[in-house]
This record gives sequence, structure tokens and C-alpha cells, in this order.
Amino acid sequence: MTKQEFLLEMDTILDLPAHTLRGNEQLEDLKNWDSTALVAIIVLAESASSVQISPAQIVNCSSVADILRIAGVAESSV
Amino acid sequence: MQLPIVAVDIIRNRNILKKELLQQENLVPTRIAILGGSTTTEVKSMLELFLLAEGIQPTFYEAGYNRYCEEVLFENPALWDFKPEVVFIHTTWHNVSEYPDLLENSTQVRERVRREVGRFESLWEKIHAGLGAVIIQNNFDLPRVRPLGNQEASQTFGRVNFLLKLSEEFGSYARTHSRFVINDILYLSAQVGLNVWFDHTYWYKFHMAVSPTASVALARNVAGIIKSFYGRSKKCLVLDLDNTLWGGVVGDDGVQNLILGRDHPVGEAYLDFQRYVKDLQRRGIILAVCSKNDPETAKEGFSHPDSVLRIEDFSVFKAGWNPKSESIRQIATKLNIGLDSIVFVDDNPVERSLVAEQLPEVAVPDVGSDVSLFAELLEQKRYFEVDKIVAEDAGRSAYYTSNAQRSVHQASVGNYEEFLASLDMTAEIGAFRPVYLERITQLINKTNQFNLTTRRYTSAEVEAISQDPTFIPLYGRLVDRFGDNGLVSVLIGHLKNDYVELDTWLMSCRVLKRELELAMFDALVEECQARGMSKIVGVYIPSKKNNMVAGHYASLGFKRVDGASENSELWHYLVPATYSSKSRYIRRTADLFVAVS
Repeated sequence: MTKQEFLLEMDTILDLPAHTLRGNEQLEDLKNWDSTALVAIIVLAESASSVQISPAQIVNCSSVADILRIAGVAESSV
Repeated sequence: MQLPIVAVDIIRNRNILKKELLQQENLVPTRIAILGGSTTTEVKSMLELFLLAEGIQPTFYEAGYNRYCEEVLFENPALWDFKPEVVFIHTTWHNVSEYPDLLENSTQVRERVRREVGRFESLWEKIHAGLGAVIIQNNFDLPRVRPLGNQEASQTFGRVNFLLKLSEEFGSYARTHSRFVINDILYLSAQVGLNVWFDHTYWYKFHMAVSPTASVALARNVAGIIKSFYGRSKKCLVLDLDNTLWGGVVGDDGVQNLILGRDHPVGEAYLDFQRYVKDLQRRGIILAVCSKNDPETAKEGFSHPDSVLRIEDFSVFKAGWNPKSESIRQIATKLNIGLDSIVFVDDNPVERSLVAEQLPEVAVPDVGSDVSLFAELLEQKRYFEVDKIVAEDAGRSAYYTSNAQRSVHQASVGNYEEFLASLDMTAEIGAFRPVYLERITQLINKTNQFNLTTRRYTSAEVEAISQDPTFIPLYGRLVDRFGDNGLVSVLIGHLKNDYVELDTWLMSCRVLKRELELAMFDALVEECQARGMSKIVGVYIPSKKNNMVAGHYASLGFKRVDGASENSELWHYLVPATYSSKSRYIRRTADLFVAVS
């Protein structure tokens, strides 16, 4: 999964218009950020990552960039 | 929400799914209180999705964290004012207040079990008495760690043994109390695996006793239970034959070469699927065959010595070369059920696709072609969930068999009036009795066609009506020379000053055109005369399915009046001083209960 695809999925989870998230936001500043959103993003990160990650790693994130880094998603090659 | 249900996809896409599901028409509203012994946010979110997928729109009350006891015992006004129809108590092994100490004897452990169950019983009694809601209560899952190892299960003081005893006591309570259903998390946690069911991160960070992935399974299970309260469970399983109930094609291979039985791994899988289908039939699910085959050839498959299913297990047998959608329509007509009561299982994806396209109301699960998975994939959708199994259910197939005899007899009699007279019908019509309340509730929630108002009530509400002196609640049970049709009609009149307003009047399509509705009306008029009621007000609320009763009140001599609310009709009948029974062929055998206040 590319970074762009991951951000689009996060937009959906947070009920934001597509292409809202850029990847540099603080989690606590996000609209609709709550525990159910966090759970869904943990599930997203687990399924997107090519390496085993634990929910604890995502729970300790404070920014979207942290999540992207742990999930191991890269920029699109296009 | 198609099969197979993938938890990860549902969690990721819940917002999109919810928006789509909210577009449905005619969603049935329901109020659900969730009382948790742990964080319930995820469970609530998933439960909402699965209920919407069943056409039920929930409004939730969520108790404070781990305040499932306090909110009930101290009658939290917010909970009491919410007036839930369903209370879901989401507790787990984490909420057991006291586990046995090491080396406690069986008497001490038994006392601990009693104390723990007693603690919960006080909540259930309070909820029933104060809220009147139906309770869905988790039994107990098992902890992931076992300090005593395997001794946890065998020693009296072991925690596993203790939790199994508690679950057994909860089950016992469910067997002996109405409006109380167990959500079997002991089974669910085993099904998903304890390592998936419980995740330490979610527990320590969020105090979620059940992981998000497992919350999907749990919510699906609870939604299935709630769906059954509203009569949304399916009634009929229509099955293909070749490569669905046996391996091979009976027309080409011959019955002796069919793959069925323990001597062959795939044959054993077909045998087990037949056993599963037979178990469904035993507890009241109607079976029908829909096969592209020569009819006599198709039937030969059931003569295979290892076949568990027999021809007589099927209430309708459609084999031929017509499109399967046509055959399924004929099955629905013959059984007098809606297409939305049917589940169709076929190994052939083309046939499944055609039926799904042409009959969108029929449930057509994508069972694939591997018979070893058919039963589990059917289970995932909880099509046939029930909150209680009543004696009427077990006799359902026998009813359809005796009905076949009625049809044969009818064909031999000259005219319809002679046929009715020859049936020698008797009807037990009386006030609701406790022993019938489960069946009455089932009828109220399942009957769509002969139903004047299509009002739905939970079992708690039905029980309340039965005890309320401002109601005349009548049931009707019909027996004839071919057998017992069972309890098939419900009429609820609401006393208002000097008239009775008909809140509910319904009848099973099993007994259409037998004049039972006339016998019910006769009983109602007599009851009104005894109580000094001068008028009966009939209410008709048209729906998509009850057009057959549009002229019902006119046929009884009611006159339509103005003053009805939008989308309903009001009809008046003046109770005469002397009344001649309208029913001609039915003898009544029960005395009415007359409560004159």
C-alpha cells in the first residue's frame, strides 16, 4: 500500500473528504479523532504493513507521520 | 456485509457501510441499552452496523465504564428514562467478583457460584421489573493464562472449572425465564481463538475485554439474537441437490455412484452437511428442494443408503428444467411465505447469481463449492437465529405434511363449504395464557400478510399486555380432523371508555379461508357484550404485504369513518344487543376470561 492510499483510507475512517490528510497532522488535532477511529487505524496499519507491528506501537503515535512510519508505507513510485 | 464477513474490512469501512445502510427504507427502530463491565465503544459501533444490515435502526444508551451493576441497582434516571427494549449486558471473565481460593472444596465453590449468580440475578430481576426489557447476557469466556495449567479445568477450585459452572448456571436461568437470552461468548471466543478474542494492548490501553476483530464476531452474534426478536429470521431453506447435498450428478452418475458417506472424505463432508440441514429441519426450519433434474431421478438420490435426509423431510420438492427463480417463487407460494423468508443454497455460482438477480428478496449466500464450508458460511449470517425454540417449531414440518392431506381431501370433496364442514374444526379461543406467550410473541413478530396493523411487540410487552386489564388479548388455536394447526391467530383489543380499539389482529396464512377470523370476531363481540362495550373500532394500517386484509373490516359489517391518522384507516362496528355468530364451521372450546373492573 502506498502512502497516498493509506492517507485516503484514513480520510475514510475519519469521515473526511478524500485527500484531506497530507501526512503531517497531529492526531489530537484531527476532526472525528476518537477511540473507534484509533482502533480502525490500528487495523489498517496492521493490514498495510509488510512487517509484524503491534497495536501498542500505533497507540503510542502522536502524529500521522508516526503512523505512516510504523506502518512502513512509502510514497507512490509514480 | 456479504459473506464471508471479514472483520478487518468492516472495521476499516464502517463509516461508508453505515451511510449506505442508513439509506434503506422501513428501518425498524429499537432502543438498546449496553451495560458493560469493560469498554463497550467498539461493540456498540459494530452492533449498529449489523443491526442496520438486518433492517433494524438502533438508538443506544451506553452505561458508564464498568457501571453495569450500579446503573441498574441504583436505577440511573438516564437509563430508566431511556426505556430500552433490549438490555445487553456485556460482561466477561474479568467481571467475576470472586474466584475460588486454592484447594477450596466443592461445597465452598458451590457457594461461590451461588453468590456470583445471585449478584447477576438481582440485576436481571431489577431490569425485568423496572424496565420490562429483554435481556441479552454474555456467559463467560476463558482467560488466556492458566496458572494451574490443565488442572484449571478439572480441579473444583480451578478458574476454568468455575467459569464453566457459572456459564451453566446462566444457561439454566435462560431455560427457566422468559425475556432472557444468553450471548454465547464461551463459544464465540473458542471459535475466533482466545489469542484473537483478547489482546493485551487493547485491554491495558482501552480496557476492551474483547479485541476489535472479535468485537465484529460478538456484534454479529448479538445482532442475530435481536433480529430474532423482530421476526427477521428466515423460515425456509431451499436446497439444490447435485454437488450440494451429495457429490456427483444423480442423473448422470446414478445413485450408486454418488459421493456420500464415511468411506470417502468428501462423502463424509456431504453427510455432515445433510446432518446439519436435518438438525435445522427438526427445530422448525422448512426445507424445500429446487433442482434442475428430472423429478423422479432427483428423488432417487435420497434412496442412497447413507442419505440422512429423506424425501419426507422436504415440504416442497421442485425438480424440473424451469429457471430456479420460477421454482423458488412457486415454493414461496405453496408455503404461503414471503420470498424474504427464504435462504437458497446451491454450489453452482451461476445459479446463485441468477436467483440473486431475479429474486433480490431471497437470501443467496455465496457458499462456494466446498461442501465442508457450507454450514459454517450459513452460520455466519445467523439466518435462522431464534430467541426460544417452542413446541410449535418442532411440529412445523408435520403441519405441512398434514396440510398435504387436507389438500388431497379438498380435491375429493364437491364444494368448498362441504370441505369446511367435513374438516370438523374446533378452535380454542381465549385470553392469553402464560404457556402460549412465546408463540404469541413469535406470531406477532413474524406475521405480515393477514395482519391489520403490523405492530411488533417484544415478549416483555406481550406479557405486560396479558396482565393489563385495559386489554382484551385473545389467541386462537385451530384443530381439525387432520391435526393440530397450532396457535395461529392473535387479536388484541384496547379498552377505551365504552369502545374497544383493535390494536392487533393477525392470523397465520396456514389457516386462511377456514373462517377462523370469523370465530375470533364472534369471541370478541361476546366479550364486548359482556363488558358493556357499545362499539368496536377497527384499525387498518396498509403495508407492502397486508393488502389481503384491505377489505376485512368491510366484510364483517364495519363502516369506514373519518378521523384516522395519515397512512391508516378507521372502521366502526356497533355491537348489537343480540348477535348471530358469523362462523359456520368452527366449534369453540375455550371460555373467555372476562375481567370486569
